[in-house]
Amino acid sequence: MLRRYRLLFLIGIIFFAAVLRLYQLGVTPVSPDWDEVALGYNAYSIIQTGKDEYGAFLPVVLRSYDDYKPALYTYLAIPPIFVFGLTVFATRLPSAIFGILTIFITYLLIREVFKKESLALITSFLLAISPWHIQFSRVAFETNIGLSLNILTAYLFVKGLKKPWVLILSAFSAGLAIYAYQSEKVFTPLFVLVLVLIFARQLFSLPKKYLLTAAITGILVVTPMFVYITSHKEALLRAQATLAFSDQTSFLKNQIKRVNYDHLRKDYLGLVLDNRRVLFLLTGVGGYLSHYDLNWLFFKGDLTRHHAPGMGLMYLWELPFLLIGLYALFFSRLESKEKRGKYLFFAWFLLAPVPAAFTSDLPHAVRTLNFLPTFQLFTAWGILSAVQMIRVYKERKGTIFSKLFPVFVLCFLFFAVGNFAYYLNQYFVQQNYFYSRDWQYGYADTVDYIKKVDADYDKIVVSNKQPLDDSYMFFLFYLKYPPEKYQRESLSKSGGYDIRHSFGKFEFRPVHWDTEVKKDTILYVEGVSEYGGGNIVKPVDFLDGTPAIKIVQG
Amino acid sequence: MYRLIDIMKKAIRKESLLLLLIISIATVLRFWHLGINPPSLTWDEVAWGYNAYSIGIDGKDEFGRFLPYDYLESFGDFKPPLYAYLDVLPVKVFGLNEFATRFPSSLFGVLSVLVTYFLVKRLFYNSKNKEMYALAATGVLAISPWHIMLSRAAFEANVASFFIMTGIWLFLVAVEERPWLLLLSAISFVLSLYTFNSTRIVAPLLVIFLGLVFYKKLLNVKKQAIAAVIIGLLLLAPILGFLRSPQAALRFQEVNIFTDSNIVKTANRQIANDHNAWWSKIIHNRRVGYAESFLKHYFDNLSPEFLFVHGDGNFKFSTQNVGQLYLWELPFFIAGILFLIKRREGYWWLIPIWLLLAIIPAATARETPHALRIESSLPTFQILTGYGASLFLFYLISLPRKKIMLKKVLLGVFSVAVLGNITFFLHSLFIQYPRESSGEWQYGYKDAIAYAKSVEGDYDQIRLTDELGRPYIYTLFYLRITPQEFRSTQLVTRDSFGFVHVNGFAKYRFGSDEINRNPEEGKRTLIIEIPRKVPSGVRILKEFPLLNGDTALEAYTF
Repeated sequence: MLRRYRLLFLIGIIFFAAVLRLYQLGVTPVSPDWDEVALGYNAYSIIQTGKDEYGAFLPVVLRSYDDYKPALYTYLAIPPIFVFGLTVFATRLPSAIFGILTIFITYLLIREVFKKESLALITSFLLAISPWHIQFSRVAFETNIGLSLNILTAYLFVKGLKKPWVLILSAFSAGLAIYAYQSEKVFTPLFVLVLVLIFARQLFSLPKKYLLTAAITGILVVTPMFVYITSHKEALLRAQATLAFSDQTSFLKNQIKRVNYDHLRKDYLGLVLDNRRVLFLLTGVGGYLSHYDLNWLFFKGDLTRHHAPGMGLMYLWELPFLLIGLYALFFSRLESKEKRGKYLFFAWFLLAPVPAAFTSDLPHAVRTLNFLPTFQLFTAWGILSAVQMIRVYKERKGTIFSKLFPVFVLCFLFFAVGNFAYYLNQYFVQQNYFYSRDWQYGYADTVDYIKKVDADYDKIVVSNKQPLDDSYMFFLFYLKYPPEKYQRESLSKSGGYDIRHSFGKFEFRPVHWDTEVKKDTILYVEGVSEYGGGNIVKPVDFLDGTPAIKIVQG
Repeated sequence: MYRLIDIMKKAIRKESLLLLLIISIATVLRFWHLGINPPSLTWDEVAWGYNAYSIGIDGKDEFGRFLPYDYLESFGDFKPPLYAYLDVLPVKVFGLNEFATRFPSSLFGVLSVLVTYFLVKRLFYNSKNKEMYALAATGVLAISPWHIMLSRAAFEANVASFFIMTGIWLFLVAVEERPWLLLLSAISFVLSLYTFNSTRIVAPLLVIFLGLVFYKKLLNVKKQAIAAVIIGLLLLAPILGFLRSPQAALRFQEVNIFTDSNIVKTANRQIANDHNAWWSKIIHNRRVGYAESFLKHYFDNLSPEFLFVHGDGNFKFSTQNVGQLYLWELPFFIAGILFLIKRREGYWWLIPIWLLLAIIPAATARETPHALRIESSLPTFQILTGYGASLFLFYLISLPRKKIMLKKVLLGVFSVAVLGNITFFLHSLFIQYPRESSGEWQYGYKDAIAYAKSVEGDYDQIRLTDELGRPYIYTLFYLRITPQEFRSTQLVTRDSFGFVHVNGFAKYRFGSDEINRNPEEGKRTLIIEIPRKVPSGVRILKEFPLLNGDTALEAYTF
């Protein structure tokens, strides 16, 4: 039956995935965050001028807020923005489309590796409804593109063991991944290494010319990025700033006391044990392990923008199957190629948190999105094993078990469906209410208002103090400010936090009410904590009713 | 005669020697420097010591209740009383000091290690490897950071864990071969209820579970089973009344997640966002919210960072740089779980279920993870690690001769990891820990009170701040005030929450801000206060530093 209807199932799953990813794409989450508007506006800028906001011609890396984003996403956003204009929907569309494609690629990969139709279908279904995957397929986050390319790399690699020329595509996909997101610069090379090691025997029995071409392709693709990084040292700053020990003084405060004490006591063993490198290592191990916390995975998630309120990254009903799946897959007896597939997925599972291990604010769902679809594969394996186990049990015993069994299954189904309904409600209804603040809500209304009254004012001062950091980009985005004009006026200055920045009649800087010029031709846009008086001409509230932005006349 | 030699020969088998070695190591790690590391006593420890002292003198607790069997009022936290009784003899023998106060915890810590050996052999009764499993688990418990930390202070939880382990061990022996041991098992479980609050939930859960699983075997030994139930209930009867009293519930509610009103508020808001739809009232029911909160707190206790990297955030339970378990245990712990399920030896299923049940009470409290409240899950973690490590060693032994290099490398890595990790922990604990943690252990009282005592004659009144908490009990403890003297001069108030405030006795007065007020004309007053609150322009007589050099307390006079 499965074989006959598999296409139907697959289409159904992909359609369902598409609905979950495209429905209300532009309005849930309710507002784009600063990175989304930056990606969108830079795409807009490239469409019109061929240059990014700083005037760099066809950049491989966007300087953006001095965080040096790999630029692939912006290029992917060019077609939708060209077609639909500079809107939130168009900015997020590439992520959603890649999210939908990922479901299909995952299906192909699992089928190729494990030769099990049911496993491939269930895994891709679980990915289609995965809160984790939906979360990042519905926002313009570069990590989602990186994930797609990694899964594609794996699929093409495995496929390439049979059709060697496909390996060249695999190498291309892997090379492209490092233009997608920072984590990929660590993850993808390790991932390719794992693939090569696991499938070494088949791989090296292939004609050498293909291997060579694939290797050269990979190297050619990454060369521009390599050149960029070596010639722009500042691009590495961002990576350093996210390290857990970027602030050495506070990080090592206790350790210094320990070392001094060891010195005092001439305790040479202590000097070795209390060496800061030991602490660095332990911090990395702790960071790595924090991603295997069930609480993070099933209940808490991390930052509010990384999960729906009240939800983790997976459904609670999946937990038992995840555990069963891990166990059953670990002890499964498989044929040669499937066995290698099993190694691949366990290695993948252990590799995913590596790029995040030494960074701060852990666990981190964005930096470790590459966990997908390993959790879904294990869960799917668990579901199949559980079904098999139940079949065996049902035959063996005929008494209480079989009588109670339907009740149990019904209860569980009720729970699983309830869990899913709960998620949908949390994501599509509750999220905007509870998290609008975290999604930097308020700019759309603000800019709408300003557009209306624009003519009455000579100057508009917009705060860039928290929570209005990088407000200039939201204004560029919502005003659809002509990029060519902006590049001229901004003088390629960074608009980062607390730095004076201006274009047109807009000035971006912290507002200090006491010393401001108070003229009714000047308009001030400020955060709630900055408000120091003056006539509020328009307040903008978050969706939970708390004030967000105050527009004040000077 | 020959029999005797036979027995002696048996006794000095390899295993016994190894067990002896493990027990010796456990003893050294638990008793070495017991009086000075942890560097000072917490108020709960002091309360145990002083109540034991008081009971030892006239059979009454500090406030004069004769042989309290249901609770010690102490600070109004209604402590389960057994620890104080266990401490009577040590205090008689060693005097009222830190060592004697902590003695029962350490002793039962060592006994727990011993019981683990017999317990594990019983658990894997049908395995040819049971000796190895038992020694490995015992060895891991002997050096366990978790168990060492909790055995080195007067934590009643540590004693309760011993009773749980013993109860389960005796139960298993009883159902297999010696049914009358069921009585001892019942007694052991009941004693755990007289020892620690969390076990009042864990022990019944475990007993019910064991009863259900072994009900067929228990039917075979009906007589003993009924006797055990009767003995258990009889022993339990005295505290049943107290357990249902408001006092017992009071302390529970304070730390309990089910009194968190935010959950109800959020639920109501979510339902309003759904325009009060009927289905929303189901999925956003506050019971769902509470269940979610419970599970969050439950899984907190299984956080890998808590277990393997940083340990409990409370300095009293962890050195902060080693987990509750060693990092090297991680691969063996996971392998232990996987292969335990795979191999299904003996009562393998009891281990994960024990672990999971033991976390339940801690998950109803707000502060999680909590190494102390889930201590009754020990030694399941250690059994799992030991199981995994044993299988790893068997694997090494089974490697063929041509893989001798691999064998050497694996063994080398294993030894370096284990020894390095242990060295790291012990160095932390015995060298750095006292200096780093003294503030957390209420360090400073002892020196300050000794000073007050030395100048006592010069003053009419001595006032001690309660900023560091419960100064009266430290004064009683370090001055060895007889309970009769305390009771005859005590100034005690009890607030509506049941907390006991001792405001003074004899010429000592305790309080917060009022102690800095000027004394009555002509009265000579010594005041001991934390530095931050010492008023300016007074005469500082002496400072009492922490071990890290910061000042804990200062003595001054006007």
